[in-house]
Amino acid sequence: MTGQEPPKNPSGNDDPPPPDTGMGMTAVAYLITGMLVWGGVGLLVDHWVGTKGIFAGIGAVVGIGGGVYLIVRRLGA
Amino acid sequence: MAGQLSVLAAEVPFPPTVEDFYLPSIVPWGAHNDYWFTKITLLMWISVAAIIIFFLVSYRKPKLVPTKKQWIAESIYGFVRNNIAVDMLGKRGINFAPYLTTLFIFILIMNFWAIVPLAQISPNSHIAFPAILAAISYVMFIYIGMKHHGGLKYFKHALIPPAPWFILPLLIPIEFFSTFLVRPFSLAVRLFANMFAGHMLLLVFTLGGFALINANVWFAPFSVVSWAMSIALTFLEFLVICLQAYVFTVLSASYVQGALADEH
Repeated sequence: MTGQEPPKNPSGNDDPPPPDTGMGMTAVAYLITGMLVWGGVGLLVDHWVGTKGIFAGIGAVVGIGGGVYLIVRRLGA
Repeated sequence: MAGQLSVLAAEVPFPPTVEDFYLPSIVPWGAHNDYWFTKITLLMWISVAAIIIFFLVSYRKPKLVPTKKQWIAESIYGFVRNNIAVDMLGKRGINFAPYLTTLFIFILIMNFWAIVPLAQISPNSHIAFPAILAAISYVMFIYIGMKHHGGLKYFKHALIPPAPWFILPLLIPIEFFSTFLVRPFSLAVRLFANMFAGHMLLLVFTLGGFALINANVWFAPFSVVSWAMSIALTFLEFLVICLQAYVFTVLSASYVQGALADEH
Protein backbone atom coordinates (compact mmCIF):
# COMPACT_ATOMS: atom_id res chain seq x y z
CA MET A 1 0.00 0.00 0.00
CA THR A 2 2.95 2.29 -0.43
CA GLY A 3 1.40 3.54 -3.64
CA GLN A 4 -1.32 5.55 -1.92
CA GLU A 5 -0.34 8.87 -3.36
CA PRO A 6 -2.75 11.74 -3.10
CA PRO A 7 -4.66 12.31 -6.31
CA LYS A 8 -3.36 15.22 -8.32
CA ASN A 9 -5.18 18.51 -8.11
CA PRO A 10 -7.31 17.79 -5.04
CA SER A 11 -10.61 19.50 -4.26
CA GLY A 12 -11.30 20.24 -7.89
CA ASN A 13 -14.94 19.66 -8.48
CA ASP A 14 -16.50 17.39 -11.01
CA ASP A 15 -13.86 16.50 -13.54
CA PRO A 16 -14.28 12.88 -14.63
CA PRO A 17 -17.50 11.08 -13.84
CA PRO A 18 -16.54 8.48 -11.22
CA PRO A 19 -17.14 4.81 -11.97
CA ASP A 20 -20.13 3.93 -9.84
CA THR A 21 -19.40 0.92 -7.70
CA GLY A 22 -22.64 1.14 -5.75
CA MET A 23 -24.75 0.50 -8.85
CA GLY A 24 -25.37 -3.18 -8.24
CA MET A 25 -26.77 -2.56 -4.80
CA THR A 26 -28.98 0.26 -6.08
CA ALA A 27 -30.35 -1.95 -8.83
CA VAL A 28 -31.17 -4.78 -6.43
CA ALA A 29 -32.79 -2.28 -4.06
CA TYR A 30 -35.01 -0.97 -6.87
CA LEU A 31 -36.14 -4.46 -7.85
CA ILE A 32 -36.93 -5.56 -4.32
CA THR A 33 -38.59 -2.35 -3.19
CA GLY A 34 -40.61 -2.20 -6.41
CA MET A 35 -41.98 -5.64 -5.70
CA LEU A 36 -42.57 -4.95 -1.99
CA VAL A 37 -44.24 -1.56 -2.39
CA TRP A 38 -46.72 -2.46 -5.10
CA GLY A 39 -47.13 -6.01 -3.84
CA GLY A 40 -48.00 -4.48 -0.47
CA VAL A 41 -50.48 -2.10 -2.05
CA GLY A 42 -51.97 -5.09 -3.88
CA LEU A 43 -52.26 -6.96 -0.59
CA LEU A 44 -54.17 -4.05 0.91
CA VAL A 45 -56.47 -4.00 -2.08
CA ASP A 46 -56.97 -7.74 -1.65
CA HIS A 47 -58.00 -7.19 1.95
CA TRP A 48 -60.35 -4.43 0.95
CA VAL A 49 -62.00 -6.23 -1.97
CA GLY A 50 -61.87 -9.65 -0.34
CA THR A 51 -59.92 -11.50 -3.00
CA LYS A 52 -57.23 -13.99 -2.09
CA GLY A 53 -54.06 -12.50 -3.44
CA ILE A 54 -54.69 -11.76 -7.09
CA PHE A 55 -54.03 -8.05 -6.61
CA ALA A 56 -50.90 -8.76 -4.59
CA GLY A 57 -49.63 -10.82 -7.51
CA ILE A 58 -50.50 -8.14 -10.04
CA GLY A 59 -48.94 -5.51 -7.77
CA ALA A 60 -45.69 -7.48 -7.43
CA VAL A 61 -45.39 -7.90 -11.19
CA VAL A 62 -46.19 -4.23 -11.84
CA GLY A 63 -43.74 -3.22 -9.10
CA ILE A 64 -40.92 -5.29 -10.63
CA GLY A 65 -41.75 -3.69 -13.96
CA GLY A 66 -41.45 -0.27 -12.35
CA GLY A 67 -38.18 -1.30 -10.72
CA VAL A 68 -36.73 -2.43 -14.04
CA TYR A 69 -37.88 0.80 -15.68
CA LEU A 70 -36.25 2.82 -12.90
CA ILE A 71 -32.98 0.91 -13.27
CA VAL A 72 -32.97 1.63 -16.99
CA ARG A 73 -33.72 5.31 -16.51
CA ARG A 74 -31.50 5.98 -13.50
CA LEU A 75 -28.57 3.64 -14.08
CA GLY A 76 -28.64 3.03 -17.81
CA ALA A 77 -26.18 5.00 -19.88
CA MET B 1 -8.94 -33.99 30.89
CA ALA B 2 -12.24 -35.60 29.93
CA GLY B 3 -13.42 -35.38 33.54
CA GLN B 4 -12.60 -31.68 33.68
CA LEU B 5 -14.35 -31.08 30.40
CA SER B 6 -17.55 -32.79 31.48
CA VAL B 7 -17.58 -30.74 34.68
CA LEU B 8 -17.27 -27.68 32.48
CA ALA B 9 -19.90 -29.00 30.12
CA ALA B 10 -22.40 -29.44 32.91
CA GLU B 11 -22.55 -25.65 33.25
CA VAL B 12 -22.62 -24.92 29.56
CA PRO B 13 -26.06 -23.94 28.31
CA PHE B 14 -26.98 -25.30 24.89
CA PRO B 15 -28.36 -24.22 22.48
CA PRO B 16 -27.28 -20.55 22.68
CA THR B 17 -30.05 -17.97 22.73
CA VAL B 18 -30.41 -14.25 22.24
CA GLU B 19 -29.97 -13.98 26.01
CA ASP B 20 -26.29 -14.74 25.47
CA PHE B 21 -25.90 -11.31 23.88
CA TYR B 22 -27.05 -9.53 27.03
CA LEU B 23 -23.96 -9.61 29.14
CA PRO B 24 -23.89 -9.05 32.90
CA SER B 25 -23.35 -5.59 34.30
CA ILE B 26 -19.77 -4.67 35.24
CA VAL B 27 -20.39 -1.42 37.13
CA PRO B 28 -22.22 -1.95 39.49
CA TRP B 29 -20.91 -5.51 39.54
CA GLY B 30 -23.57 -8.12 38.77
CA ALA B 31 -26.49 -5.72 39.12
CA HIS B 32 -29.78 -6.78 37.56
CA ASN B 33 -31.46 -3.45 37.06
CA ASP B 34 -28.57 -1.26 36.01
CA TYR B 35 -26.91 -2.05 32.70
CA TRP B 36 -25.18 1.21 31.77
CA PHE B 37 -21.72 -0.36 31.80
CA THR B 38 -21.24 -3.85 30.39
CA LYS B 39 -18.56 -5.59 28.37
CA ILE B 40 -20.15 -4.04 25.27
CA THR B 41 -19.69 -0.53 26.66
CA LEU B 42 -16.17 -1.36 27.73
CA LEU B 43 -15.23 -2.68 24.28
CA MET B 44 -16.62 0.40 22.61
CA TRP B 45 -14.69 2.73 24.89
CA ILE B 46 -11.51 0.75 24.29
CA SER B 47 -12.07 0.93 20.52
CA VAL B 48 -12.62 4.67 20.55
CA ALA B 49 -9.64 5.27 22.81
CA ALA B 50 -7.42 2.99 20.75
CA ILE B 51 -8.33 4.71 17.49
CA ILE B 52 -7.84 8.23 18.89
CA ILE B 53 -4.56 7.40 20.58
CA PHE B 54 -3.20 5.47 17.61
CA PHE B 55 -3.86 8.24 15.11
CA LEU B 56 -2.68 10.99 17.47
CA VAL B 57 0.55 9.19 18.29
CA SER B 58 1.33 8.16 14.74
CA TYR B 59 0.78 11.71 13.49
CA ARG B 60 2.37 13.62 16.33
CA LYS B 61 5.63 14.20 14.50
CA PRO B 62 4.94 13.40 10.87
CA LYS B 63 8.05 12.57 8.89
CA LEU B 64 8.60 12.78 5.18
CA VAL B 65 9.96 9.25 5.32
CA PRO B 66 7.28 7.75 7.53
CA THR B 67 7.90 5.65 10.58
CA LYS B 68 6.17 2.29 10.78
CA LYS B 69 3.19 3.64 12.77
CA GLN B 70 2.80 6.61 10.48
CA TRP B 71 2.99 4.30 7.48
CA ILE B 72 0.15 2.15 8.83
CA ALA B 73 -2.02 5.18 9.62
CA GLU B 74 -1.34 6.70 6.20
CA SER B 75 -2.07 3.42 4.49
CA ILE B 76 -5.47 3.12 6.18
CA TYR B 77 -6.38 6.67 5.30
CA GLY B 78 -4.93 6.35 1.81
CA PHE B 79 -6.81 3.13 1.19
CA VAL B 80 -10.18 4.63 2.08
CA ARG B 81 -9.46 7.91 0.31
CA ASN B 82 -8.23 6.41 -2.95
CA ASN B 83 -10.18 3.19 -3.18
CA ILE B 84 -13.50 4.28 -1.72
CA ALA B 85 -13.86 8.06 -1.59
CA VAL B 86 -12.16 9.11 -4.82
CA ASP B 87 -13.22 5.99 -6.71
CA MET B 88 -16.87 6.64 -6.03
CA LEU B 89 -17.13 10.39 -5.64
CA GLY B 90 -14.44 11.64 -7.97
CA LYS B 91 -12.22 14.52 -6.89
CA ARG B 92 -14.68 15.84 -4.35
CA GLY B 93 -14.40 12.49 -2.60
CA ILE B 94 -11.38 13.99 -0.83
CA ASN B 95 -13.78 16.09 1.22
CA PHE B 96 -15.52 12.96 2.46
CA ALA B 97 -12.39 10.89 3.01
CA PRO B 98 -12.02 11.84 6.71
CA TYR B 99 -15.58 10.84 7.51
CA LEU B 100 -15.37 7.62 5.52
CA THR B 101 -12.03 6.69 7.07
CA THR B 102 -13.38 7.28 10.56
CA LEU B 103 -16.41 5.17 9.74
CA PHE B 104 -14.29 2.39 8.24
CA ILE B 105 -11.76 2.13 11.03
CA PHE B 106 -14.41 2.42 13.75
CA ILE B 107 -16.54 -0.37 12.29
CA LEU B 108 -13.46 -2.47 11.61
CA ILE B 109 -12.22 -2.23 15.20
CA MET B 110 -15.69 -2.70 16.66
CA ASN B 111 -16.25 -5.78 14.50
CA PHE B 112 -12.84 -7.10 15.29
CA TRP B 113 -13.77 -7.72 18.91
CA ALA B 114 -15.80 -10.66 17.64
CA ILE B 115 -12.65 -12.75 17.24
CA VAL B 116 -10.32 -11.24 19.81
CA PRO B 117 -9.74 -13.91 22.49
CA LEU B 118 -11.52 -13.11 25.77
CA ALA B 119 -13.57 -10.33 24.18
CA GLN B 120 -15.20 -12.45 21.48
CA ILE B 121 -18.32 -10.42 21.02
CA SER B 122 -18.69 -7.42 18.78
CA PRO B 123 -20.61 -4.40 20.05
CA ASN B 124 -22.03 -4.28 16.53
CA SER B 125 -23.98 -7.45 17.28
CA HIS B 126 -26.36 -5.12 19.13
CA ILE B 127 -28.55 -3.26 16.66
CA ALA B 128 -28.10 0.06 18.49
CA PHE B 129 -24.55 0.62 17.23
CA PRO B 130 -25.14 -0.06 13.52
CA ALA B 131 -28.42 1.86 13.76
CA ILE B 132 -26.70 5.01 14.99
CA LEU B 133 -23.96 4.69 12.37
CA ALA B 134 -26.58 4.23 9.66
CA ALA B 135 -28.52 7.22 11.00
CA ILE B 136 -25.42 9.39 10.75
CA SER B 137 -24.83 8.36 7.13
CA TYR B 138 -28.53 8.80 6.37
CA VAL B 139 -28.77 12.31 7.78
CA MET B 140 -25.49 13.18 6.11
CA PHE B 141 -26.42 12.14 2.60
CA ILE B 142 -29.76 13.91 2.82
CA TYR B 143 -28.06 17.05 4.14
CA ILE B 144 -25.41 16.89 1.41
CA GLY B 145 -28.12 16.42 -1.21
CA MET B 146 -30.13 19.36 0.08
CA LYS B 147 -27.03 21.51 0.17
CA HIS B 148 -25.98 20.50 -3.33
CA HIS B 149 -29.36 20.78 -5.04
CA GLY B 150 -30.82 23.45 -2.80
CA GLY B 151 -33.42 22.51 -0.19
CA LEU B 152 -36.53 20.78 -1.46
CA LYS B 153 -35.16 20.54 -4.98
CA TYR B 154 -33.12 17.60 -3.73
CA PHE B 155 -36.29 15.65 -2.93
CA LYS B 156 -37.68 16.51 -6.33
CA HIS B 157 -34.45 15.25 -7.86
CA ALA B 158 -34.42 12.12 -5.71
CA LEU B 159 -38.07 11.19 -6.02
CA ILE B 160 -38.99 12.13 -9.57
CA PRO B 161 -37.13 10.12 -12.18
CA PRO B 162 -36.90 11.26 -15.78
CA ALA B 163 -40.00 9.53 -17.11
CA PRO B 164 -43.29 10.34 -18.80
CA TRP B 165 -45.88 11.72 -16.37
CA PHE B 166 -48.27 8.78 -16.54
CA ILE B 167 -45.72 6.31 -15.10
CA LEU B 168 -44.67 8.65 -12.30
CA PRO B 169 -47.37 7.55 -9.81
CA LEU B 170 -45.98 4.04 -10.18
CA LEU B 171 -42.36 5.07 -9.78
CA ILE B 172 -42.41 7.70 -7.04
CA PRO B 173 -43.42 5.28 -4.24
CA ILE B 174 -40.65 2.91 -5.32
CA GLU B 175 -38.12 5.74 -5.28
CA PHE B 176 -39.33 6.90 -1.90
CA PHE B 177 -39.08 3.45 -0.38
CA SER B 178 -35.73 2.54 -1.85
CA THR B 179 -34.05 5.85 -1.10
CA PHE B 180 -35.50 7.03 2.18
CA LEU B 181 -36.71 3.90 3.96
CA VAL B 182 -34.79 0.87 2.73
CA ARG B 183 -31.34 2.49 2.70
CA PRO B 184 -30.87 3.28 6.39
CA PHE B 185 -32.64 0.09 7.37
CA SER B 186 -30.57 -2.20 5.17
CA LEU B 187 -27.37 -0.39 6.10
CA ALA B 188 -27.96 -1.00 9.81
CA VAL B 189 -29.40 -4.48 9.52
CA ARG B 190 -26.68 -5.78 7.18
CA LEU B 191 -23.93 -4.96 9.65
CA PHE B 192 -25.90 -6.01 12.71
CA ALA B 193 -27.10 -9.30 11.24
CA ASN B 194 -23.63 -10.28 10.07
CA MET B 195 -22.07 -9.69 13.46
CA PHE B 196 -24.99 -11.27 15.29
CA ALA B 197 -24.96 -14.37 13.12
CA GLY B 198 -21.19 -14.64 13.35
CA HIS B 199 -21.27 -14.60 17.13
CA MET B 200 -24.15 -17.06 17.18
CA LEU B 201 -22.31 -19.43 14.85
CA LEU B 202 -19.20 -19.42 17.01
CA LEU B 203 -21.36 -20.00 20.09
CA VAL B 204 -23.13 -22.94 18.47
CA PHE B 205 -19.94 -24.73 17.54
CA THR B 206 -18.02 -23.94 20.72
CA LEU B 207 -20.85 -24.76 23.11
CA GLY B 208 -21.91 -27.60 20.83
CA GLY B 209 -18.55 -29.26 21.48
CA PHE B 210 -19.28 -29.24 25.20
CA ALA B 211 -22.82 -30.42 24.66
CA LEU B 212 -21.57 -33.36 22.57
CA ILE B 213 -18.99 -34.41 25.11
CA ASN B 214 -21.62 -34.18 27.80
CA ALA B 215 -24.29 -36.14 25.96
CA ASN B 216 -22.72 -39.49 25.27
CA VAL B 217 -19.29 -41.10 25.30
CA TRP B 218 -19.67 -42.00 21.63
CA PHE B 219 -20.27 -38.39 20.67
CA ALA B 220 -17.10 -37.17 22.40
CA PRO B 221 -14.83 -37.45 19.30
CA PHE B 222 -17.25 -35.25 17.40
CA SER B 223 -16.80 -32.47 19.91
CA VAL B 224 -13.25 -32.16 18.61
CA VAL B 225 -14.69 -31.76 15.13
CA SER B 226 -17.03 -29.11 16.47
CA TRP B 227 -14.17 -27.15 18.01
CA ALA B 228 -12.07 -27.47 14.89
CA MET B 229 -15.04 -26.08 13.04
CA SER B 230 -15.28 -23.13 15.43
CA ILE B 231 -11.61 -22.34 14.76
CA ALA B 232 -12.22 -22.48 11.02
CA LEU B 233 -15.27 -20.26 11.43
CA THR B 234 -13.18 -17.76 13.35
CA PHE B 235 -11.14 -17.27 10.19
CA LEU B 236 -14.35 -16.90 8.21
CA GLU B 237 -15.43 -14.30 10.77
CA PHE B 238 -12.26 -12.37 10.08
CA LEU B 239 -13.26 -12.19 6.43
CA VAL B 240 -16.77 -11.07 7.30
CA ILE B 241 -15.43 -8.42 9.69
CA CYS B 242 -13.29 -6.76 7.05
CA LEU B 243 -15.90 -7.16 4.34
CA GLN B 244 -18.71 -5.62 6.36
CA ALA B 245 -16.61 -2.63 7.41
CA TYR B 246 -15.76 -2.12 3.74
CA VAL B 247 -19.33 -2.61 2.52
CA PHE B 248 -20.75 -0.15 5.05
CA THR B 249 -18.23 2.48 4.01
CA VAL B 250 -18.70 1.87 0.29
CA LEU B 251 -22.47 2.11 0.57
CA SER B 252 -22.25 5.31 2.60
CA ALA B 253 -20.05 6.76 -0.13
CA SER B 254 -22.45 5.49 -2.78
CA TYR B 255 -25.39 7.21 -1.10
CA VAL B 256 -23.47 10.47 -0.91
CA GLN B 257 -22.63 10.02 -4.59
CA GLY B 258 -26.31 9.54 -5.37
CA ALA B 259 -27.16 12.72 -3.47
CA LEU B 260 -24.53 14.68 -5.36
CA ALA B 261 -25.33 13.24 -8.79
CA ASP B 262 -26.74 15.56 -11.40
CA GLU B 263 -29.27 14.66 -14.03
CA HIS B 264 -27.86 12.68 -16.89
